[in-house]
Amino acid sequence: MTGVLQRQLRDFAVAALLAVAIASAAFVVVRNGDVVDAQLELAQRSAHAVASGQEALPTTHVALVGPSQSSTRHPILRHRDIRQLGEAADRHLDKLFYDAALRIDREHKGAFVEMLHDGTGRAIAATTRDHGPMIVVAVTDVAKPAPYPLLVMIGVLGLGALLAAAGALVGRAAARAGTLTGIATLAIPALLWHAWIAATAIILLAAATTILQRAELTDQFSSGMRRHRVALGFLAPVAVAMFVLVAVPFVIGIVLGFYDHHQGTWTYVGLQNFRDILGGGTGGLDDGTNFWFVLGVTVLWTGVNVFFHVTIGVALALVLSRSWLRGKGVFRMLLILPWAIPNYITALIWKGMFQGEYGAVNSLLHAAHLDGVSWFTSWSTAFSANVITNTWLGFPFMMVVALGALETIPKELYEAASVDGASAWQRFRHITLPHLRPALGPAVALGSIWTFNMFNVIFLVSGGKPGDTTNILVTDAYRWAFERGDKYGMAAAYATLIFLILRLLTILGSRLAREKEPA
Amino acid sequence: MKALLLALCLAACGGPHGIVLWHAYNGDERTAIEVTAAAWNAAHPDQELTLVAVPYDAFADKLSSAIPRGNGPDLFIYPQDRIGDWADAGVLEPIEFWVDDARADRFTDNGLAAMAYHDSLYGLPMTVKSLALYYRTDLVATPPRTTDDLMALVPMMKAKNGFALAYANVDLYGHAPWLHGFGGKIMDDAGHLSIATPEAAAAMTFARDLVTSGAVPKDAEGPLIASLFNEGRAATVMSGPWFMADIAKDKDTGAYSVPWAVTTLPIISATGRPAAPFASAEGILMSARATDKDTAFAVMDFLSSDASAITRAKLAHQVPANPHAFDDPAIAKDAALVVFERQLEHVVTTPKAPGMRAVWTPYRTALGEVLAGRAEPGPRLLAVEREVKSYTEPK
Repeated sequence: MTGVLQRQLRDFAVAALLAVAIASAAFVVVRNGDVVDAQLELAQRSAHAVASGQEALPTTHVALVGPSQSSTRHPILRHRDIRQLGEAADRHLDKLFYDAALRIDREHKGAFVEMLHDGTGRAIAATTRDHGPMIVVAVTDVAKPAPYPLLVMIGVLGLGALLAAAGALVGRAAARAGTLTGIATLAIPALLWHAWIAATAIILLAAATTILQRAELTDQFSSGMRRHRVALGFLAPVAVAMFVLVAVPFVIGIVLGFYDHHQGTWTYVGLQNFRDILGGGTGGLDDGTNFWFVLGVTVLWTGVNVFFHVTIGVALALVLSRSWLRGKGVFRMLLILPWAIPNYITALIWKGMFQGEYGAVNSLLHAAHLDGVSWFTSWSTAFSANVITNTWLGFPFMMVVALGALETIPKELYEAASVDGASAWQRFRHITLPHLRPALGPAVALGSIWTFNMFNVIFLVSGGKPGDTTNILVTDAYRWAFERGDKYGMAAAYATLIFLILRLLTILGSRLAREKEPA
Repeated sequence: MKALLLALCLAACGGPHGIVLWHAYNGDERTAIEVTAAAWNAAHPDQELTLVAVPYDAFADKLSSAIPRGNGPDLFIYPQDRIGDWADAGVLEPIEFWVDDARADRFTDNGLAAMAYHDSLYGLPMTVKSLALYYRTDLVATPPRTTDDLMALVPMMKAKNGFALAYANVDLYGHAPWLHGFGGKIMDDAGHLSIATPEAAAAMTFARDLVTSGAVPKDAEGPLIASLFNEGRAATVMSGPWFMADIAKDKDTGAYSVPWAVTTLPIISATGRPAAPFASAEGILMSARATDKDTAFAVMDFLSSDASAITRAKLAHQVPANPHAFDDPAIAKDAALVVFERQLEHVVTTPKAPGMRAVWTPYRTALGEVLAGRAEPGPRLLAVEREVKSYTEPK
């Protein structure tokens, strides 16, 4: 019997926790809504009363504000007469009265009412007077919201627990009726506050719990939780972090792509942003703001970089893996250095080195009696400067991966191949390469994604020069957000497209890798 | 929604906490603002003013995102060009309520006008910055009065593997003196774009000719310009008051190791009109979410007073927006400050309309292409105007 009761109360407790959270949220929303409505109405009524010649309402401060008059010495400056009604004038309110009158004049609407944005819960209303140029402004006192109904919540919780327990003691169908009515009891406060959505949600929760209980799913869930307690405990913080830091921004980013942002207001525009982007914008195919042009640059950028990363990385790894090489540790450390330095610092150093007059690269060219290159005035040189910088940054990773893979190749294979008379190239082609492939495959996929989105190098080295033509998709998205009139919607749509492109690439990549894998 | 906002407000509402001011100053300017802040704190121990230095690159974005959520500073120092944008977005507190004639008398008319937008005043000006012409007194005997005088320096400087003039020529801010001197502009008084005009094309052609004739280095930026000037490879430099910090100094004595002076920008020989740079007033502005607005204004008032302006002019060579600051003998003797003050007679205030923000990058791109000889000024300017329009109009 105690087992049944225990199980009943366990299910009730879990559902009740959710129900209380729903009811509390409903209370805060409804209570605050009521306070706001009451304050807004009070301010409005008081202002209208004075405007039609009656007394101001209690707990409000009302003033008559005169028309704006330009200063004779400084026409930019405008002032107004402010006359507070009632006995105790609060001079700190004059600024509020002044600004409200300014807004009435500016918006030509005749009246407005709103909550002040200072967190005090005060409302302000302003209206023009029936006669004369004066504007009436009313400000309410600070709001006093109703306290949280703790006793009511404890009461319904107790009643609900009692119903659930009683049902369990009777047994069978009564137990489920107990669960249903016990949890549904918690909808009573929400019903009292006219919070219909919350009440419905709680009743649905009660029904769902009953159904789950009947199918014994609550038992399974509970025992599962108990069995994997430790694992779940360890996973929980990461799950929360992933949810907050990855899932939420990801969803928000995708949603923003369907909106247009213009001077602080967001408008739903459907697929318009995507149409604009994929349509290429106003410029032709050789225009730096055309999506297809930027995509072309990005693909070329990724391809060239990854090619250099892999060839240089593998070549260096082969040299470093030679047994006759002395001072391997030192070389290895030196070659990993570019990877260890934060990439934006490296990018800034390279940018300085490519500088036309005083940069190290041109100084070297001059020293060799060659003409200096104006690196950022033509597309090919600017693009090359970016590629050189990113190659410097990217080869160590491939080298390390290749080095690791080389260590795992059994020496006997090479010995056997030598005995069979294989040339160095044949040994490389038929032993080294196939053994490198499983390790290099994922590294190339990862490297491609990094390079595809290598914001720092493009932004800091060429900065898109000349004329926005060396931008890649991710730097172009940045420019939409921060340099082209705050078009955050366009930037978000760009980000979504980048995601889709990369997703496609990784799916294709893993397909290819699987097909090539030896059976 | 309103209810939720109120709930958040009620939760976040705290007590009085003194005044927090954000600035992006470095070096001498930072020292100067710290000295004036210390003076306020000494006189008002119960209303502490806390300075927070925020990097300039991140400044505007941080403000735009923090203030509407009720965070951010009470006050901040920023040039006037974002005022329109921020006033429209409800980030700024209008302050004309507190400013009477006596206070306004303190400032130059264009300094005060730079802080106004749509019939309201949003800040008190601290300094007005514009470009002027620096020159090496060892290379240039008499300062060039016209652009022809400037071009006359070319052969002599070419012989030295140098340039007659160095300035940030691919940047609209650097190019603006020619643009205005040829009669062009970015937008009219009502904020309507006026980019693609024959005058603007003429100015761009002039800038390109400067490059092709070898009078100026192509694609010059801050550090390069300073190096050229310090090495005697640029006879003149068009830059602002901040350039004084880049002029080479002797390590031991701290005195300038390069002979230099500064003069107003030359007259454009082709039009007979003076080259007119953008004037950008830097002011102290109040957040619409400042907690104690009366005290915050008192701090604004204090920091923009004549005494504070004199301190900043002395310590950081900031050109005061307060004409009476020049009554101070030390400042009246500062030749560079006096020249920058005189340059303000021929300037164009940087437009405050929100659309201006979308102009800088496309214009810069166009300048880069035209100066490199890859595009013609006329059609390129038309493309800029089209591009800016596409950014500033809602979908």
